[in-house]
Amino acid sequence: MSSSSPSRLRRLLDGAEPHFTQGGKYERFYVLFEMVDTLFYSPPNKTVGGPHVRDALDLKRVMGMVWMCTFPIMFMACFNTGLQANEAMQTLGMTSIDGLRGFFLNGIGYDPSSFFANFFHGMTYFIPIYMTTFIVGGIAEAAFSLIRGHEVNEGFFVTSILYSLTLPPDIPLWMVGAGIIFGIVIGKEVFGGTGKNFLNPALVGRAFLYFAYPASMSGDAVWTAVDGYTGATALGIAAADGMAAVQAQFTWWEAFIGTIPGSIGETSTLAIFIGGGILLATKIASWRIVLGVFFGMMATATLFNLIGSDTNPMFGMPWWWHLVVGGFAFGMLFMATDPVSASMTNTGRFYYGCLIGFMTVLIRVINPAFPEGIMLAILFSNIFAPMIDYVVVQANIRRRTKRIEQGGQA
Amino acid sequence: MIKDKFNEMLALPNDSKQKTIFVALAACLVCSVLVSFAAVALKPMQEANKAFDKKRNILQIAGLMEEGKSVDELFKQIEPRVVNVETGEYVDDVDAATYDQRKASNDPAQNVLISADNDIAGIKRRAKYASVYLVKDGDAVKSYILPIKGYGLWSTLYGFIALEADAKTVVGLGYYEHAETPGLGGEVDNPGWKAKWIGKQVYGPDNQVMIDVVKGAVDPASKTAIYEVDGLSGATLTSVGVENMLHYWLGEQGFTTYLNKVRATGGES
Amino acid sequence: MKLSPEAKHNLLDPLIGNNPITLQILGICSALAVTTSLKTALLMSMALTLVTAFSGASISAIRNHIPGSIRIIVQMTIIASLVIVVDQLLKAFAYDTAKQLSVFVGLIITNCIVMGRAEAYAMKNPPGLSFLDGIGNGLGYSLILIVVAFFRELFGAGSLMGYQILPLTTEGGWYQSNGMLLLPPSAFFIIGIMIWVIRTYQPEQNEAPDFVIHESHSHSAGESH
Repeated sequence: MSSSSPSRLRRLLDGAEPHFTQGGKYERFYVLFEMVDTLFYSPPNKTVGGPHVRDALDLKRVMGMVWMCTFPIMFMACFNTGLQANEAMQTLGMTSIDGLRGFFLNGIGYDPSSFFANFFHGMTYFIPIYMTTFIVGGIAEAAFSLIRGHEVNEGFFVTSILYSLTLPPDIPLWMVGAGIIFGIVIGKEVFGGTGKNFLNPALVGRAFLYFAYPASMSGDAVWTAVDGYTGATALGIAAADGMAAVQAQFTWWEAFIGTIPGSIGETSTLAIFIGGGILLATKIASWRIVLGVFFGMMATATLFNLIGSDTNPMFGMPWWWHLVVGGFAFGMLFMATDPVSASMTNTGRFYYGCLIGFMTVLIRVINPAFPEGIMLAILFSNIFAPMIDYVVVQANIRRRTKRIEQGGQA
Repeated sequence: MIKDKFNEMLALPNDSKQKTIFVALAACLVCSVLVSFAAVALKPMQEANKAFDKKRNILQIAGLMEEGKSVDELFKQIEPRVVNVETGEYVDDVDAATYDQRKASNDPAQNVLISADNDIAGIKRRAKYASVYLVKDGDAVKSYILPIKGYGLWSTLYGFIALEADAKTVVGLGYYEHAETPGLGGEVDNPGWKAKWIGKQVYGPDNQVMIDVVKGAVDPASKTAIYEVDGLSGATLTSVGVENMLHYWLGEQGFTTYLNKVRATGGES
Repeated sequence: MKLSPEAKHNLLDPLIGNNPITLQILGICSALAVTTSLKTALLMSMALTLVTAFSGASISAIRNHIPGSIRIIVQMTIIASLVIVVDQLLKAFAYDTAKQLSVFVGLIITNCIVMGRAEAYAMKNPPGLSFLDGIGNGLGYSLILIVVAFFRELFGAGSLMGYQILPLTTEGGWYQSNGMLLLPPSAFFIIGIMIWVIRTYQPEQNEAPDFVIHESHSHSAGESH
């Protein structure tokens, strides 16, 4: 606020503040006041001491930035979800849908060649999923904040949008709610809240749904938001029938731009690169992690290409296809780079990334049950992140000790 | 006299050699008596349970379970026989009531190794002789119940398939043991899915195995629909496993020879 | 019969206050494996309670004559024999459920609770009290198993004791079963949540923290807007 007199909003918040601080009427609800206050203004509390700075940026702004970076993805998510649905309706010969969704789309139509028809149809799927995530997750988050008396953290904004983008469009909304509650409570709050979680809460929520309701989270009936239409994801096709079958159905460019079936936000590698590029440019996401994931994936995929297999068609998938199908790009740029659950040391970040890339391809190719591997790979590597850091720090100490000893002799 | 000796031993210091040996022996003796008594005394009941369990599995899969009738009573209509899988002949020098095919398949003297090319069911070896169960109506055979097993996604599935008197039409299919993913491959236990097998044809016009677990749903209008069963959604590999084990057990390697014979003779071979 | 305070303590303390699973974190392995249905959990609880109680009593009865050098072996022999007897009994009288328990009855031999009570309590106390101690710890274990199995069977398979309570969508009902609850890791979550709840009500169960997080913020409202 550059002006000399405080803005109306500032005055309003300042006026309300005494009620919420210690001894005030609504003392218990201080966290809610704080949440609103710091959403608009810089937080009042300042760092006073100790060796603790990992990044000089304010956490709220960082999280806000990540949220903004998902906009291109949300945009493509709506478009592609609608496109897939409209194309499926055309195939099935359907001209309208019933219920509330049909009411909203009345007049817009279901023409798969119309950008707006696709976009709005997609929105009628994405918005309810995102709203459910936000409201249900927000209640869980606020409940813990109230009991514990800590602030509602903007980390939740990021968790909720990332979580929504990893879900299939056809998922029932109650599952969306169940998943985010599990993610927030078991993935984060039991360990003490944001900053103390060792797993990525968005992925914990998704993993819960994946194992609890596999029929709604995998297979080939859930990726297109039209009942009775089945369309496998590129990875599903590759695992069953090989690369030739994938290429017969989609081109690489289609997979890159994202007009293929899949989870809402994972299909458009292009949109993910735009959002992720901003994250990298602003140094919010660690380029070392991204490079590590990419390198690990490329090396492992190439290795499998060289080994080859007569019975498992996934061995033949080249790395540039691994990059554009499934959730790889999204996981690499938005999930693996979560600063809380990733490794903290620079060297460690690279190895952490490599582990993710390696595990992703390993699960995709070798494991017969799971066509996609990035979610499990990231959760797995989250667990190893502290150990990687430990090894890196110990190696560093050893190296320096050695240098001093040698210096002493010289 | 013995009592004195006993007390004398007990009175020794705990860490002396004699006492250590004495206590070790005494503990072993008492425990072994206890264990062997339990094992011997309970054996008949355990055997009966095991037999009962097997009978019930067979009855359930063949769809012969009836409310209010005991398993033993219902099982009277079933005649267990042992078949030499290769020749298709009944084997009479083995007691069919007690023959344990599962044990035999792990016994080098009673099994055959399956070459990798033929091993579509992923079981590596099978018993030379198989237990089959004939459901009888008087003297005529109503249906044949054949054991099947094969690898799914995570585990070996053990089950039975029941065929009508024509030895082609499915009466029922079911598994009594597996460890597939609950909700996906585990749906092999779903009554809805099992009901889809009833009435399907296993063999085509030239007696080749035609049964097929398709991906997704069967198109009822297609010519081959009579040979097709819906796949389990989200469990491609379990579905493929089911199909493969049927192709193995009902094919040339399995019961084809036997079934050809019974078709010709009406149950007796 | 009037129980002495110590007997009462032996019987009741392991239920919540000193529960072998949630406080001592023993016997977790079987708690994961046998809790997919309430029936198996009940049978397993019964088996373990009996083994712990009788092994405690018999080891205690001969405790003054067990040479230190073969102490553990003698305990193991007694426990193993009791486990075999229980296993045989189950196979004779509860065949179906025993089949589902498969190796886990046999694995009671390696259950830390049984060995732990024998070594920690029965070796130093008279048979009667050791017996009650075994019953108490067995019940503590049972309590956790039953609660875990209740949630896992009800929400995982929609049934309790094999009777369908929530009609499943796969069979035409409305309840979509939660497949994760049928997988072993879900028992970790449920046990973890139980520990969380118990420690919220009995904070004295909390361990001392390994380290204290350094306070790096101070709140100074209205200063930096």
